[in-house]
Amino acid sequence: MSRRSELASPASANQKQAEMSAVVTSSPAAAAAAAPTKQRRRRVERKPRVAIAITAIFFVLLYLPIAVVVLFSFNSQKSLTVFKGFSFRWYDEFFHDHDMIASLGMSLKVSAVAMVGAIVIGVALALGMVRARSWLGSYAGFIMLIPLITPEIVTGVASQLLFKGFYIHLSTTTVIVAEITFSISYVTVILRSRVAALNPELEEAAMDLGATRWQALRLVTLPALMPAILASAVLIFALVFDDFVLAYFTTGVTPEPLSVRIYSQIRNGVRPSINAVGTLMLVGSIGLIALALVIPRFFGRKGGLDILSGE
Amino acid sequence: MTAIDAATLSPSAAADCPAVRLDRVSKSFGAPRSAAGNGFAVRDVSLDIAAGEFFSLLGPSGCGKTTSLRMIGGFADPTEGSILLDGRDVTGLPPNQRNVNTVFQSYAVFDHLTVADNVAFGLKRQGVARGEIRKRVGAMLDLVQMGAMADRRPRTLSGGQRQRVALARALVCRPRVLLLDEPLGALDLKLRRAMQVELKQIQREVGITFIFVTHDQDEALTMSDRVAVMNGGVVEQCGTPEDVYERPASTFVASFMGTSNLMDGVYRDGSVAITGGPTIAVGDRGLRAGCAVSVSVRPEKIWLSEHEPQMVRIPGTVAETVYSGPTTTYLIEIAPGVTVSALEQNTDRSRNEERWVNGARVELGWRPEHCLVLESAPADQSSLVAA
Amino acid sequence: MWNWLALPGTLWMSAFFLLSLALVLLLSFGTTDNNFNPHFGTSLANVKALVDDAYLKVGLRSLVYAALTAVICLVVAYPVAYAIALYGGRFKNALIAAIVVPFFANYLVRMFGWSVLLGDDGPILKAGRKLGLPASFHILNTNTGVILGLVYGFIVFMVLPLYAALERMDVSLIEAGRDLYGGPLRTFLTVTVPATRQGALAGLVLVFLPAVGDFVSAQLMGGPDQYMIGNLIQQKFFEGNNQPLGSALTMVLMLVLLVGMIGYLRRARKDEQDAVR
Repeated sequence: MSRRSELASPASANQKQAEMSAVVTSSPAAAAAAAPTKQRRRRVERKPRVAIAITAIFFVLLYLPIAVVVLFSFNSQKSLTVFKGFSFRWYDEFFHDHDMIASLGMSLKVSAVAMVGAIVIGVALALGMVRARSWLGSYAGFIMLIPLITPEIVTGVASQLLFKGFYIHLSTTTVIVAEITFSISYVTVILRSRVAALNPELEEAAMDLGATRWQALRLVTLPALMPAILASAVLIFALVFDDFVLAYFTTGVTPEPLSVRIYSQIRNGVRPSINAVGTLMLVGSIGLIALALVIPRFFGRKGGLDILSGE
Repeated sequence: MTAIDAATLSPSAAADCPAVRLDRVSKSFGAPRSAAGNGFAVRDVSLDIAAGEFFSLLGPSGCGKTTSLRMIGGFADPTEGSILLDGRDVTGLPPNQRNVNTVFQSYAVFDHLTVADNVAFGLKRQGVARGEIRKRVGAMLDLVQMGAMADRRPRTLSGGQRQRVALARALVCRPRVLLLDEPLGALDLKLRRAMQVELKQIQREVGITFIFVTHDQDEALTMSDRVAVMNGGVVEQCGTPEDVYERPASTFVASFMGTSNLMDGVYRDGSVAITGGPTIAVGDRGLRAGCAVSVSVRPEKIWLSEHEPQMVRIPGTVAETVYSGPTTTYLIEIAPGVTVSALEQNTDRSRNEERWVNGARVELGWRPEHCLVLESAPADQSSLVAA
Repeated sequence: MWNWLALPGTLWMSAFFLLSLALVLLLSFGTTDNNFNPHFGTSLANVKALVDDAYLKVGLRSLVYAALTAVICLVVAYPVAYAIALYGGRFKNALIAAIVVPFFANYLVRMFGWSVLLGDDGPILKAGRKLGLPASFHILNTNTGVILGLVYGFIVFMVLPLYAALERMDVSLIEAGRDLYGGPLRTFLTVTVPATRQGALAGLVLVFLPAVGDFVSAQLMGGPDQYMIGNLIQQKFFEGNNQPLGSALTMVLMLVLLVGMIGYLRRARKDEQDAVR
C-alpha cells in the first residue's frame, strides 16, 4: 500500500520535471528537434523508475526472511521449506521447553538490568560530555565512540579475557556488565545531540529561582530529556535482548541468553521450533523498537528517527 | 497586590544605598557573548541603580548590556570589579543565593510543568508552605492576567503568554531586583507596545527595581526612569531619558537615540565650519579653536517657518519629503552632499498652508540651545556614575 | 559538576576497553598448557603461527569479503536512499523506519531466515530451478552466499548515512544539473555523488569495519572454505581451546582495522565538535 503511493508521487513529480526540462532545453538548444527532447523526457522518467524498482525489491528481500520465519513457525509439519498446514505446535513446544523458558527469563533479566545501568551511566556521561569544557569531556567523547566501530567479535573476545584475566567466572553478571558497556555508547550517542540542543537558559532559570546545580539538573534538565531517555531505554532493552555475539563470549554455562541458545540450536541441527522462538523474538524486538521511535509523540514532540539522529 | 514593604529590606540597606552597584566591573574574552574589539565584553563599568527604579541598559548588539545583566544575576562572574546588592558584595555568589530574579530572553518556561507549577517553582525552593504558595501564585497570575490559564501547559501558550508566565514566576519570589533580558524582542509591534505599558504598571505597583536590557531606544525612552547607553563594553552615558536624548554626551549616544543630523566640522570662535558646508553660529562653547567637532540638531527642533528672532538660520533646498501620517520628514540639502532632516507635524495650523515640496527653497531655524556640539574624539572610557 | 557526571561513565569505559584490549594484547604472547588453560607469557609462537599461509588466506578473504560487501551495499543502498529521500514524500519517515526497525531486531534470526531462503530447498532456488537453473547451482556454502549474508546484515549502515546526506542535499542542485548536463545518469555522477560523498564514505566505513570481523554469516551461509577471521577466532576460543592464538588473531584484526578506525574517529570527533560547539 505504501509502495503504490511511492510510485504515485514520483510519477507526477517526473512529469513536472520532464516538462520543465523540455521547456528549458528547447529554447537554448535551437537545433534540438522534437526527437531529442522526447528522448530526454523518456530518460528523465526512466531513472527514478529504476531506483524505485530497486527500492521495491529491496523491501521485499528485507522482509522475506522474516516472512519465512514467521510463516514456518506456524507450519504443521517439520519441514522448513514446505508449508503443509497451520498449527501452533512449535509454539507449544517452545513454551514447554524448560531450558528455553529459562533462557528467555535470563535474557529478560539481563536486558532489564543492562537497560537501567546503561541509562544511569549513559545519561550522566552524555550530560558531562557535552557540558564539561575540559579534557575529561573531550576524552569522554572519544572513548564512548569506540564500541560503536569495534567489530563485536573483538569486543566479545576482549570482554571474555577481561573477566577471565581477573578470575571472574562467566555468568549472568558478566553478560550484564559487558552489555552495559556496549549500551552506554548507544545511550550517549542518542542523548548527546538532545543535550546539546537543550536551551541553557532553562537551567539558569532554575538556579535563578533558587535551585542548586544538582536540583536544576534533577528538576528541569532531566524532565526535559525524559522523552529521549525513555526512548533510548526501550531501544537498549531491545538491542540487549537481541544481542548475540557479545553474549556468546561472556555467558556462563546455563542458562544462556536466548539468542545464544538459538545459535547453538541452529548449529546443532535445526528444529522448526526455532522459527517459533525466532518469530517471538522478532515480534518483540520490532514492537519495542517501533515503540521507542514513537515515545516522543506522547510528550508532544515529533517521533521517528530524530531519536537516532545522533548517528 | 501589596508593594514590597520595608520589612523585606535587609537591615544594611540605608536610604541612600543603591539597590545594585557595579563597581568597575570588567569581563574579558571567554565570556559567552563578548563582542568588543579588544577582547573585553564589558570594560570598567560602574553603575548605581536606586531601589524602585526602572533602569534600562540600552545599546546595539554586542555592546555588553546582556553580559552586564548576567553578571548581576550571577550567571557570569566579572573578571575584575565587584557587584553589590543592597550594599552586600555578591560577586562570585551563584544565582540561587542572590535576591535577584530574571526574565530570560527565551522566557525559559518549563515545558514539563503547568503554568501554576512554573510560577510556584521558586517558592517551593524557598520552602514556603503549600497553602501560602497557592495564594501567592494565584495573586501573581491575576496580576499578569493569566489567572485562567493556571492549569495549562506552556506548549499550548502563545509567546506573549509564556512571557507573562516567566514574569510571574520571577516576581512571585519577591526579589529585590528584577532583571529582564530583552523580554519584548520576540513579540509583534502591537503586543510589544501593550506589554511596555503593562510592565511599567506592574513595576509601579510592585515597587521593586527593574533592570531592563533592550536594543530598542524607543522602548528604553518610554519605560525607564534612567537609561545607561552602552557601546563596545563601556557605558557612554547614564541619565534620565530626557538627559540622554536632549543632552547626549557623545556622538554615539546622539546618533543611537533617534535621528541626530550629525555634521562634522571645525570649531572656531563661536562657530562651526561644517565640512563641505556652511558655517553655523553656535555660540561660545568653551572649546579650543580648531578642534574637530560634530554638530547635531534634532529634527523636531528644526523649524521651517515662523522663526523666532534669536534662532540660527540656514538656507537650504528640499531634497525629499517623507510623509508618515502624523508627521512629515523633510530632507533638506544645505550644501552639496550635506543633508539635514527636519520633522514637522502635519497640523495644518501653520500660516504657510503650503507643504514644502521637493525643490523648494526653505529656511531652517533652530534655537541656539538646541544645537549640540560634541567633540569628535572617540569617547574615552571614563566610568559614568549615576546622578 | 559536569566533570563529576562524566566521570563514572568515562572510568567504566576506559577501564573496560583499555584493560580488556591490553589483556588481549598480552595474551597474544601467551601459551596453553596441556589442560588447554591459557597462560600469559612471552612466546612469539602465536605470532609466528599467524604468518602461516592458511591464516593469511583467511585474513585476505575476510578483507576481500568485507570490501565487496561494502561496495555492493553502496551500489544497492544508493538508489534506495535516493528514492526514499527524494521521492518518498510524506512517507519518508515511515519508509526509513521500515528499514531500520527490522535491522535492529534480531540479527541471528534474520540471518537464519535468509539462509533458509537461499538454501537448496528454499523458495528462491526452487523457483529458479523451475526457470531453468541447473540443479548444481547453490548459493549456500559459496563465496556468494557469505557475501550476500554480509550485505543483508550490514546494508542498513549504508542506507542511513546516505539517506541523511541526500536529505540534507539541496535538491535544486539536481535540477540545475539536469539543465546543464542533460542525462540523469551524468547528473547523478557529477552532482549527486560529490554532494553526498561524506555520507557514502561514512557508510563504507560503517559497513566494512564490522563486516571484517563477522562470523555469523560465514557460519550460516558458508562452509569451512568460506571461513573468515571471525570464525577462526571463535574456533580458537570455543573449540580449539587455544585462546592465546585466538588473542593473537584478534590483535591482528584490531591492528588492521585500527587505521580505518582512527581515520573515522578523527572525522567523527571533528563533526561532533562542529555541531555541538
